[in-house]
Amino acid sequence: MIDAHLLSLVTFLPLAVALVLLLAGRAPELVWKGVALGASLLTFGLSIGLWLGFDPTRTGYQFVERAPWLPGWGIHYFVGIDGMSLLLVMLTTFLMPIVLLASWNDVKRSVRSYVFFMLSLETAMIGTFVALNLFQFYVFWELMLVPMYFIIGVWGGARRVYAAVKFFLFTMLGSLLMLVALIVVYYLHFEQFGTLNLDLVALPGTAARAILDTHVPIAGQAVWWQTQPWLFAAFALAFGVKVPMVPLHTWLPDAHVEAPTSGSVILAGVLLKMGTYGFVRFALPLFPVAAVQFTPVIFTLAVIGILYGALVSMVQKDMKRVVAYSSVAHLGFVMLGMFALNVEGLEGSVLQMVNHGLSTGALFLLVGMLYERRHTRDIAEFGGIAKPMPVYAALFVLVTMSSIGLPMLNGFVGEFLILLGAFARSPAFAVPATFGVVLAAAYLLWMVRRIFFGPVENPENRSLIDLGLREKAVMVAIVVPILWIGIYPDPFLRRLDASVLEVLRRVEVGMAGGSANAPHADRVGLEAPARAALAEAGR
Amino acid sequence: MSQAPALNLGTLLPIGSVWLGALLVLLGEVLLSRRRSFLGRPVTPVWIGTVLAAISTFFLVLALAMSLQAFLSGGAVDFDPAHPMIELDRFSNFAVVVVVLGSLLSCWLSVSYLVELRINHGEYYSLLLLATSGMMLTVMAVDLVVLFLGIELMSIPIYVLAGFQRRDLRSNEAALKYFLVGSFATAILLYGMALLYGVTGATDFAGIHTHLEPTNLVGLAGVGLLIVGFAFKVSSVPFHQWTPDVYEGAPTAVTAYMSVTVKAAAFLALLRVVMVALPSVALRLEPLFWALAALTMVVGNVMAVIQDNVKRMLAYSSVAHAGYILIGLATATAESYGAVVFYLLAYVFMNVGAFAVVSALADAGRECDRIQDFAGLGQERPGMAALMTLFMLSLAGIPSTAGFFAKFVLFAAAVNAGLTGLTILAVLASLVSVYYYLRLPVMMYMRERSAESGPWGVLSTGELVVLIACAAGVLFLGIFPNVVEGLHVLDWARDSAAPLFAAR
Repeated sequence: MIDAHLLSLVTFLPLAVALVLLLAGRAPELVWKGVALGASLLTFGLSIGLWLGFDPTRTGYQFVERAPWLPGWGIHYFVGIDGMSLLLVMLTTFLMPIVLLASWNDVKRSVRSYVFFMLSLETAMIGTFVALNLFQFYVFWELMLVPMYFIIGVWGGARRVYAAVKFFLFTMLGSLLMLVALIVVYYLHFEQFGTLNLDLVALPGTAARAILDTHVPIAGQAVWWQTQPWLFAAFALAFGVKVPMVPLHTWLPDAHVEAPTSGSVILAGVLLKMGTYGFVRFALPLFPVAAVQFTPVIFTLAVIGILYGALVSMVQKDMKRVVAYSSVAHLGFVMLGMFALNVEGLEGSVLQMVNHGLSTGALFLLVGMLYERRHTRDIAEFGGIAKPMPVYAALFVLVTMSSIGLPMLNGFVGEFLILLGAFARSPAFAVPATFGVVLAAAYLLWMVRRIFFGPVENPENRSLIDLGLREKAVMVAIVVPILWIGIYPDPFLRRLDASVLEVLRRVEVGMAGGSANAPHADRVGLEAPARAALAEAGR
Repeated sequence: MSQAPALNLGTLLPIGSVWLGALLVLLGEVLLSRRRSFLGRPVTPVWIGTVLAAISTFFLVLALAMSLQAFLSGGAVDFDPAHPMIELDRFSNFAVVVVVLGSLLSCWLSVSYLVELRINHGEYYSLLLLATSGMMLTVMAVDLVVLFLGIELMSIPIYVLAGFQRRDLRSNEAALKYFLVGSFATAILLYGMALLYGVTGATDFAGIHTHLEPTNLVGLAGVGLLIVGFAFKVSSVPFHQWTPDVYEGAPTAVTAYMSVTVKAAAFLALLRVVMVALPSVALRLEPLFWALAALTMVVGNVMAVIQDNVKRMLAYSSVAHAGYILIGLATATAESYGAVVFYLLAYVFMNVGAFAVVSALADAGRECDRIQDFAGLGQERPGMAALMTLFMLSLAGIPSTAGFFAKFVLFAAAVNAGLTGLTILAVLASLVSVYYYLRLPVMMYMRERSAESGPWGVLSTGELVVLIACAAGVLFLGIFPNVVEGLHVLDWARDSAAPLFAAR
């Protein structure tokens, strides 16, 4: 019983608790925090059930549930996970209790509203990752905006209102155009198959037609707005804002800096991944021809993002801004790997989404802990604080190394795979991207040196207290997967294999102009022809 | 000649019950206000208001129930089958449901609001019911003469209602402005009707359809004037200038009422006129509605951004929503007409809800309608602030609210008919709208209460009922518009448009 609805349970448990909290009577703040933490821990516990029950050898979606929502309109409640969504769901459920624990003393006003928004945000994020109906995906995608808007706007820093509204408007711009594109695809499907349907794939074991079976005309075959380049552009705009890709990234530093620590962690850890996830899950398989055509553009923007993010990071005075711009650079790597469109690149890209969530999330947590003590994030205010705060310094250096991509830590595995894939696809773009790795080492290590080493010049820093038990617990929890992925990534990569191959197969078949629903028998030796076909088309 | 005409008097029952209610309210006020106590209870203004509102509620619910029942059982009845004037088909029945729903909600909203603004007079409810009956007549009309009667019966009581706050200059200005502009619009409408009658020799829609030549210039001029008249009523750009002043000046409960019901009645009547009487010129109308929709959306949304008065902002937002709805007219398919009906229904809940919050916050003769009046509401009155946020999100079209589904079905219909350009314009315009709809949550949650804010009025039972009903409607239509067995509202709206297309 629970097994059949496990995915829905994981998705809606936080929201259910949030609604109960909203209706409950008065209680001390500790109760709200405790209940929220309990709920998020329970959600994480249930999602471990997903991890254990997931069969990595199977292609297609697992834990599938489907129920009518607007039957006549082809809109269903339709959820399921493959390897990619599994990892991202796990990342979400894992980060949420950490964030709640980390912000235990951070949030002082309207605690009940705060935990309400955090828990409903969790449901919206998980819902986005598990949705298999485009309409449902869009609903969760947009819904996520509302709690995040309030978290930034109410509990944020000095320019919080500006940052919150900018965040909302930027995201809306992309997603509204995506809505139009989605409706166009909806009717293309209707024209071809005579049914209104927005399910991404057919329910396993049925012959019904779904959105991915739709033939989306390539340029010149139909009116402009029904063709792949335009539809891809609309989707890419929505996802690109979220990633964020240069030049759509300007909301990110503002949102990150103004958000409270918990908001920054969730923003960096999970929200940005919704953009990259959208690319893999929807934009690539739906519009493969356009995706390949756009590859040079995406590559260019990704490399610009990597270099620009790194260079801008280097000159920031605020620690949070350094980390924020480093996100732009890291997400550039994710995009680079993804559009390499080969197994190494795509797998590394998805793994790097998780890695970035862990290490950048951890960096934001650490910055937040220091801010709580000194109420400043100005790098110049610090120096030599490794002396009063040795544990903090050790953890900071470890997480920094993971973010830089030091071997034996998680970042290395992802970046290595991405660069491997990118070199195979296009050395011209991979070489400058490699410089990004060097630059990352430069700006992060420089920041570490200025904060932790040298003499303690500012007297206020002498009396800094090292991490307490709660903070240590938070950091240990987040360091465990950082080490795990770095040392033994196989359990993660194994779960990705089938779904990454499936995406590439869809792209390949779509490139050949065939129906993506072709039998799966041609799986053997897929990589070579796929790469050949893509290289052909990319020219 | 010798045979008595076979009239279906039953068709008059819903509208008749509203008329009866209007008369009883007038009578009741006279009888009650002369007494000091009634059945041992002292007669207070609130008590009188409650009784009158209860009478109005009874008859409105009666009309609602009859229309809903008629809608669900299907079929169509003419008042006089020999000379169609009033028709009760699925379209008009559902239209009546939409209009009466808006009236009911505004009626409950008025009880304590009128007392607080010290304008508690029984005529108010009577006028409200009369205007509602006019709207019912408007949406049932299949004849230009009846249509005109309906529009006048709807408009005149509202001119009075807009000026109901007699001692307030703004309210007087609103009434006068609405009256002058409204009369002007009516005259234009009437001129259009006269020209149409002149060319076709018919006043009934079917007759006009038969005789109207698509190339006849006089006939086209008549059609144009007719649409201009309607454009005034639905406040479409460039005929919208009265809207902000009237919405701002009129008592908030009246603004809530007219913003949803007049718009609904005028749009629904326009749907029928266009599709039943004027299909022969439909091709020429499409670009006209395209341009009106584009202009209205852009101007409405852009102007709303710079408003500092909530009622003015909601007025421009209502202009903008008229623009979205006009997309449905430009599309002119059964699908898009159904979407328009659904949109108007959703709009009833979200817009009355928003105005209900504004009116519930009015205190002791003072309106709470400047944006800064809302500062700090989130901390002091979390429930009100949460509801206002919900209504704003719905107006902005965020998923899981009625406003999102309304936009989705409307845009889907437009894209399906090939109007992608207009749809893209619409989504960009609604992006602008997000900015100003978010200003209230920003004020309520992200600014501290200051000397500028409040004082805020106390929530009365009537207002609470309206707020809960509107929130429930917004969430129900936003999450389960078609899920609950026996309440497939989305399908209902789609089906209701079918009779207009069957006639072609």
